[in-house]
Amino acid sequence: MNKVNISISIIFVIVISWIFYLTNFKQDSSFTVRYYSVAELSDISNQIDKVKVGGYIKPNSIVISEEDRLEASFFVYQNDDSVKVYYYGIRPDLFKDDAEVVVSGSFDNSQISATELQTKCASRYEGDLKNTEKI
Amino acid sequence: MISQIGSIAISLAGGLIFSSFLFLGLFNFLGKKNYLLVAERAILATCYSIFLAFFCLLNELLVSNFNLQYVAQYTSYETPMFFKVTALWAGQAGSLLFWSFITSIFTVVYIFTTLKRMNSLKFHSYLILAFIFSFFILLSNFIANPFDPVSADIVVQNGNGLNPLLQNFFMAIHPPILYVGFTGSAIVFVMALAASISKDITFDWVQSIRRWSLFVWTFLSAGIILGGYWAYNELGWGGYWAWDPVENSSLMPWLTLTAFIHSSMIQEKRGMLKKWNFLLATSTYLLVILGTFITRSGVISSVHSFTAENLGPMFFSFLSLLILYTVFWFFKRKSYLDTDDRIDSFTSREGGFLYNNLILILMCFTIMWGTLFPILSEAWDGNKIYVGASYFNQLNIPIGLVLLFLMGIGPLLSWNYTSKDILLRRFKMPSTISFISGFSYFLFSASFQLYVLVAIMGITFTLTSILGEFYKSYKKQKKSSSNIIVSFTNMLLNNRHKNGGYIVHIGIVLIFVGFIGRAFEVEKEFSLAPGEQIYFANYTFKLNSIESEARDNHYAFLSNIDVIDKENQFLTNLKPEKRIYFYWNSDPEKRQPHSELDIHSTIQKDIYSIFSAYDAQKNLGYFKIMINPLVNWVWIGGIMMVIGSLFAFWPSRIKK
Repeated sequence: MNKVNISISIIFVIVISWIFYLTNFKQDSSFTVRYYSVAELSDISNQIDKVKVGGYIKPNSIVISEEDRLEASFFVYQNDDSVKVYYYGIRPDLFKDDAEVVVSGSFDNSQISATELQTKCASRYEGDLKNTEKI
Repeated sequence: MISQIGSIAISLAGGLIFSSFLFLGLFNFLGKKNYLLVAERAILATCYSIFLAFFCLLNELLVSNFNLQYVAQYTSYETPMFFKVTALWAGQAGSLLFWSFITSIFTVVYIFTTLKRMNSLKFHSYLILAFIFSFFILLSNFIANPFDPVSADIVVQNGNGLNPLLQNFFMAIHPPILYVGFTGSAIVFVMALAASISKDITFDWVQSIRRWSLFVWTFLSAGIILGGYWAYNELGWGGYWAWDPVENSSLMPWLTLTAFIHSSMIQEKRGMLKKWNFLLATSTYLLVILGTFITRSGVISSVHSFTAENLGPMFFSFLSLLILYTVFWFFKRKSYLDTDDRIDSFTSREGGFLYNNLILILMCFTIMWGTLFPILSEAWDGNKIYVGASYFNQLNIPIGLVLLFLMGIGPLLSWNYTSKDILLRRFKMPSTISFISGFSYFLFSASFQLYVLVAIMGITFTLTSILGEFYKSYKKQKKSSSNIIVSFTNMLLNNRHKNGGYIVHIGIVLIFVGFIGRAFEVEKEFSLAPGEQIYFANYTFKLNSIESEARDNHYAFLSNIDVIDKENQFLTNLKPEKRIYFYWNSDPEKRQPHSELDIHSTIQKDIYSIFSAYDAQKNLGYFKIMINPLVNWVWIGGIMMVIGSLFAFWPSRIKK
């Protein structure tokens, strides 16, 4: 190995080690957040600082505050389980009943205080046909 | 009738591609050239069948044949003609056929141009292309067929129509441009494998694969930039890049292809780095397929993933086979790809390229690690763990800054070796200007940030270095002509490849200028009644009125906001809207709200306004305002990148 190759290898090893250090598989890294299923959260009673959950908005569960229209709560469901989510801020345009969402935030008292609310990108919906008539 | 023809064309393509395998096998065992010719014709016929299927689907979309599930899902009678065309790639089935369509165009061009000159590559090229085609044709026939009819027991009175968010010019052209980049990388993959397997890596081959790569790179770059532009101007979250797995999936092949374009130059000049280039050229397409797997499998939670999740195992199998095939031939041809020449000096152009490659690959690795982390962590202990944007920023900002400096250092280095004296002489001007600009920022900035300081120094260093190179070339031309315009034009045209590269680099520098702006972004969410005002970021925002209006295909709430600067001078009037599409529908579920942004855009900063909600009872509007400095430089840099790569790609005049 010549000096150029050695220097490149050293840089590579340092950066890769740094990456592994930043993203250890434990949950204590400041860069990582664990993805929970709604069913898992239903069984947890303690507080969790960072959670990420995906699912669908439970129909008729969206409650928007009369005082402040930016304040909303709703339930996210997967199969038969659901979890309550509180969110303050501008909601995406595609936020509505049965919309697929991903929320991130903290979990306490069986509810998620979301800091991030994303709906499925419009370009990726493969919805059912709407204007149909049975023969 | 047309839909039946389309359906038959897809099936026919399947039969033809199967027959090409048969004749390739016969050629391999019997050695008769006629069999290879028949295989070539079978592949060409496959491409023509795919063309036919594609145009049949286009026809059905244009005439609104709602007997087809796909047409009914993505168009309606009200969908404008232009967006009926773009519905070709709006859904899973159509986008897969569209993917095959572009691959077919590339294949026809590849067969009639590159392979006409490189006979020895034909057999392995056809074999790999046939494998790629057979996979996509299989999907279009059995998993996601765009010609599938609607259920027999229903009549579709009108289609669903295209989502209003997608009815945007930039969203319409972003996917096909990106697809051209994705599918074009298949040709780079095929060329790299076929030449290595056939042991026929020639100078002509290196030049040819570089031209293909440059073409693909241009489209990948344009597709990525357009995606960011659409997200910024349409989606209403005020950003253009979110480190989403699907966004990352398009960036990874871009990085490896960028590395390949640079390192193949060393192979072209000095015949070195064959193994490395083989890996870069092949990994680009493998990363494209990995990205497609991520997008279409649902294995990683992303807002960009397709909802249908039945393609995951298919793409995973396809990717695994491609990787196995590539790895097998890499080891089999390892000794052939070995080169004796070594890069011995840090201070050589080759050394510079190698460091640039290292940085690009490190960046690609960090992004891949972060993107695949949920899968890896789940495999490790069953817990799916995601990494956020902070991970990607923390790692990629310093790596990107090193890359920024390297873009300026590269042109200052000579091939083979640069002596200390020459190095000092060439570094003098860029370093001086870089230090002066950094010092000025340190002295005069209101809020000092280390990354911003380094970025400013990197930008000025690289710009000075590149402009210095232009000036040197210009001075040479000036000797032969006294006319400034003639000298400048000759300077540019004389070495298109090199100058095109420099223009691309200037574009990337300008994008970094835009990135600096992100450090100074501020935002505020608030509610206002008409007549009220709020002071934020040195501006006063006064809501004049909120009016409503029924339009052709939506109902709109129109806000009217005056922006007054800190000198109490009127700056601009913003009119963000809240629209409700399908508002006439009695079922609220079918209505589609949409925030139409209004942006006051200047070269210095954007004032970005979103009308997020309206409380009719209180006559209160809810707004979000963002001050985004320097964003326009990202788009200007993106345009320069594309212009530069087209300039480099354009064939030089043949000297008589």
